[in-house]
Formats: sequence, structure tokens, C-alpha cells
Amino acid sequence: MIKLKNISKIYKTKTVETLALNSVSINIEEGEFLSIMGPSGCGKSTLLNIMGLIDEPSNGDLSIGGYSIDDYNGKSIAKFRNEHLGFIFQSFHLINDLSVVDNVELPLLYRKVSSKVRRQMAEEALVKVGLKNRMKHFPSQLSGGQKQRVAIARAIVGKPNIILADEPTGNLDSVMGNEIMDILLGLNEEEKTTIVMVTHDEQMAKKTNRLIRLFDGSQVV
Amino acid sequence: MIKHILTLIWNKKKKNFLLLLEIFFAFLILFGVFTFVVENMRNYNTPLGFDTENVWLVYTEIPGDADSTEIAEMKLLLRQELIALPEVESISYSNNITPFSGSAWQTGNDRNDFEFNTRIMQHDEYYEETGGLNLVEGRWFSPDDALSKYDPVVISKQFRDQCWKGKPVIDSLFILDDEGEVSDFVKIIGVVDHFKYMGEFTSEYNVTFIYEPPTSKELNTIYIRVKDNPSPNLEETINNRIASISKRNDFVIGTLESRRVRNSRKTWMPITILLGIGGFLIINVALGLFGVLWYNINKRRPEIGLRRTMGATKSDISKQFIGEILMVTIFGILISSFFTLQFPLMKLFDIENINYYYAMLISAGIILLLVLICAFYPSRQAALINPAIALHED
Ligand SMILES: Nc1ncnc2c1ncn2[C@@H]1O[C@H](COP(=O)(O)OP(=O)(O)OP(=O)(O)O)[C@@H](O)[C@H]1O
Ligand SMILES: [Mg+2]
Repeated sequence: MIKLKNISKIYKTKTVETLALNSVSINIEEGEFLSIMGPSGCGKSTLLNIMGLIDEPSNGDLSIGGYSIDDYNGKSIAKFRNEHLGFIFQSFHLINDLSVVDNVELPLLYRKVSSKVRRQMAEEALVKVGLKNRMKHFPSQLSGGQKQRVAIARAIVGKPNIILADEPTGNLDSVMGNEIMDILLGLNEEEKTTIVMVTHDEQMAKKTNRLIRLFDGSQVV
Repeated sequence: MIKHILTLIWNKKKKNFLLLLEIFFAFLILFGVFTFVVENMRNYNTPLGFDTENVWLVYTEIPGDADSTEIAEMKLLLRQELIALPEVESISYSNNITPFSGSAWQTGNDRNDFEFNTRIMQHDEYYEETGGLNLVEGRWFSPDDALSKYDPVVISKQFRDQCWKGKPVIDSLFILDDEGEVSDFVKIIGVVDHFKYMGEFTSEYNVTFIYEPPTSKELNTIYIRVKDNPSPNLEETINNRIASISKRNDFVIGTLESRRVRNSRKTWMPITILLGIGGFLIINVALGLFGVLWYNINKRRPEIGLRRTMGATKSDISKQFIGEILMVTIFGILISSFFTLQFPLMKLFDIENINYYYAMLISAGIILLLVLICAFYPSRQAALINPAIALHED
């Protein structure tokens, strides 16, 4: 599903050059639930961003679902992200001025979908994360766990075949973290969604199919 | 997308309120400025109906009660002597109600089968040529008119269209003045296209010209039409002739053109000042808008990153920001328009409705254009934000 070959990423600033990723090669199968672990600053988010096509590798080849990616800026990439990828972030990234259901509808705005169908799909996604009754609430009225469930609903509303989650349980206590983890496991099981998850939590990582460890930009396991 | 933008600005109504207020007042003020400017400029753009270039005016103080045959002879001689000058093309006498002087003689009544109001001008048979009038129907006065049964009058087109719309007007009779100053029925013999003698910026009044022969003691102002580029000493020559023939020196020579310029300055001044205030206001609104947009976009960087990861293209991001500010602007204009529309609906002032509508269109156009210009650069910057970095900042 996702093939990375010798992916490197160098961040250049005026004073320093950071080698965030050093020739990483990973092959992620369709339907796989992969977790990535490693100390802070080792390049986990960078790797996920590259898989999510929101950051460009300095070197190496990337292909997703058989398409090799070489243009990271065009309209086709935006369309690809919209149709095939779902994102979940540690800090949720909900838009505070939009209600729960409007937040969930967001990815569908960038597709040709009527507002009626949008609403219907968003409601379905909210049912899956058990938040149908909070549809009209605003993010400020939700707990952290609920916020992350809204973010998951938003990630799955467009029925993507890949979900990229950057420390989805990082801001949550273990009870809420487990809830989120159960939803992701369910998605992987029932919808066969390929999931790549960055985590600092060994317990969470153990529940996934495969674990990759990064250290200073290099893959160690 | 429009629904999404509407939802977003509705949810942010508190944050958008100040912007809305700014647009609201900017529109009101621009509306005021442009109503004044449009009203005046539309008047300005209609023809005066008479020439000012190369037309000189001489105000004399020839007393009305002096021996009339003596005065009549003197005036005829004066005419002859002045017209004999090679640079003088034509001479005409009128009473002292002249263009741009501010003085007026008006009358009106409802004794005909219509009600009317008109300004009255008194001229001799030479004024058509001297003043450069443009007759659209009928003819100007001739000396024989002194003998006709009904006093002849020439009216302006506006007066005709108001009271004789669709009817033949030449040779029609009507009661001009019911107070006995002018004999009751008068007969229309001609129609001039325009006569905006109160000033270039003044809306046109109905005008009726009545006839007096050049020898009449009523007529003590002399119109002199001179050739192009008269020699510098022409004024002195004319001055000397008038002085020697009339044996007086209590007269003033001036050009109608300089009177026009002086009169129009009274309106050009406020127009310039108002446009200046309008321009200053626009610059302030622009700076405000620019600042608000800039601030908004910087505060919403993570949101921009998020939208990009969800599949928004760069142009989707630009459109989003331009769309939001445009929508707030349109609301501001609509609310403001509700108030400004009361002016034409309630007819509060003596201003043609169309001028209000023009002012509204111009104000709305300027504000929308301004908003688009101010939104363009920040929105482009927003589109260029790197999503990976923006998401990291939260
Ligand atoms: N935009 C950037 N410009 C410069 N350096 C960057 C940028 N983004 C990340 N880096 C650097 O690249 C390295 C990897 O960063 P990354 O965010 O991928 O780490 P991480 O493994 O996700 O860490 P954490 O667990 O703290 O989230 C770090 O040294 C970081 O400072
Ligand atoms: Mg990270």
C-alpha cells in the first residue's frame, strides 16, 4: 500500500542542517496497522507527513497504492489526499468556530458532494465514534477524548483507505486513550483501513500488527 | 462552499461584528458623498443651453424712469456703434436677470389645465444669436412680435415636456401670470433645449422667455458677443464707446465665462473636499481591513494547515478567505442599503431617485473593490503556508 525507498529528509535553516530522516525504507501492506515509536525529535512526525504528502522528502522514492509520487504541490495531490488519506493529530486540530458536525464535514467540502449527502455522511461517521448526540456542540464543550473522537470521525468521513495518526492518544489519559485505540482497531478490523500510528505508548503499540522504531532519523527495527 | 462560509461567519459573528460595523459606516458615508457628487455631476453634464465663451455682459444703471424716447434713441445708437466694431458679432439687451447672478423672477399658477412654475427671462429679438440658444421647435422673437395680439413667449423643453407632453405646443395659449403684470394669455412661439442659467451644477428650472424690444426701458443689461481671441484693447474700446454715448460711467463690463467659472467654484470646492474625505476614509478602511485579514490569517495558520491536509488546494484556501471577507462585506452593504434606500423611498430631499441609486452602486462598487484588493495579498500568503509547518505550530 505504502512503499518508502531510501527516504531522507534534511531541514535546512540558516544556522543548522538537520537530518530528520536518514534513508528510511518501509513497506506497508494493505490493511496493516503499523505503529512507529522513537524518542522525541527522531523524525516520526516527519515520516508521517511524508507519507501524508504534506511534506516533501529530500531524497528517495515514495509510492502509495501503486502511484509513485513525484509532484507534491499540484491539484492532483490535494485530490489524492482528500480521497485516500485521513489524518489524526495529537492536538486534535478541530476548528473551534465550527460545530462538531461541521468539523466532521470538512474533508467533504473539497469534493463534489451535495450538502445533504455531506450531512448524512458526517452523521454516519459520528455514529461510528459514538458522538451522534453531540453533533451540534462546539469543540470547547467537549472533553479531550471526545475531541479526538470527532477528529477520527473527520478522518474517516471520506472513507479513506489509509489513516495517518500522529500520537492520537498523546494528550489523553489511559481510559480515553484506550477508547480511541479501540476505535482505530475496529476500523482496521472491519473496514480494512490501513493505519500508520505514531505513539510513545508501548501498550498501544503492542496492540498493532507491526512496530517500527526510529532513532535519530534511522530505522532501528 | 458558500454554505460553509456562511456557517463560519455566522458562528464568528462577534468577531466579525466590528468589520461589519466598519463596512456599514463606510457605505453610509460614501453614499452621502456620492449622492452629492452624482447629483451635481449629472446636472453638470447637461448642457447649459447658452454660450459663455466670447460673451460679455455690461450692467448699466440706466434709470427706468428717465425720459423713455431719449433712452430708446440712446440704446439704438449704442447698438449701432458697438456692432460697428469689427470684433463684435452681435448685441442684445436684457433685463438684469442674467446667468449665474443668482437673481430670479418666477411665477406659476394652476389656472390652466395644469399646474406649473417657471422662471421668467426678458430678452430682445437678438438674444438667440448673442446667447447662442438652441431652438428645438418654433422660432425666437422678431420685432413684429411687439404688435401681436398675445404676448409671445419661448419656453424651455423641460417646461414643454412637463405641461404639454405629447401635445402640439407651438401657437398654444396659456395663462402665464395671473397677477396682471403680464397680460393674461401668452402664446408659445418657440422652444429652447436647455437654459440652466442658475449655474452648471443647479438642476434645470422651467424657463419662459418674454419679449421686450431693445428700446424698452426694462432692458438695461447689454450682451456683447465678440469674435474668438479678441484683441486686448477691445474692452477699453467698448468701454469708451459706451461711456461716450451713454454719458455715464457707472457700468461694469465682465465676461460670462468668468462668471461661470466663479459660480462653479462654489460647487467644485465642496465636491473636492468631500471626495478628499471619502478618499481618506477609504484609505483608513483599507488599512483596517488589511490588518484584520493579516491578523486572522496568522491566527488561523493551523486551520489552514488542516484544510490543506484534508484536500484543500491553494486556491481553495485563497477562495475561503476572500469568500469570508466578501460575505461580511456584502452583509454590511445590505444592512447599510436598507437605510440608504429610505432616502429615495421617502423622498426626504429634492434629489432625483436615480442619483441615490447611482450613489449606492458606486459606494458598493468601491467597497467591494477595496475589499478584494485588500484581501488579495493576505489570501495569497495564506495559500502559500506550508501545511506541515503550520500544523506543527499549535
Ligand atoms: N520545519 C522544520 N524545520 C527545521 N527542522 C525541523 C522542522 N520540522 C522538524 N524539524 C527537525 O527534524 C527533527 C525531527 O522532527 P519530528 O517532528 O519529525 O520529530 P518527532 O519524532 O515527531 O518528535 P516528537 O516525538 O517530539 O513529536 C527534529 O530534530 C526537528 O527539530
Ligand atoms: Mg511528532
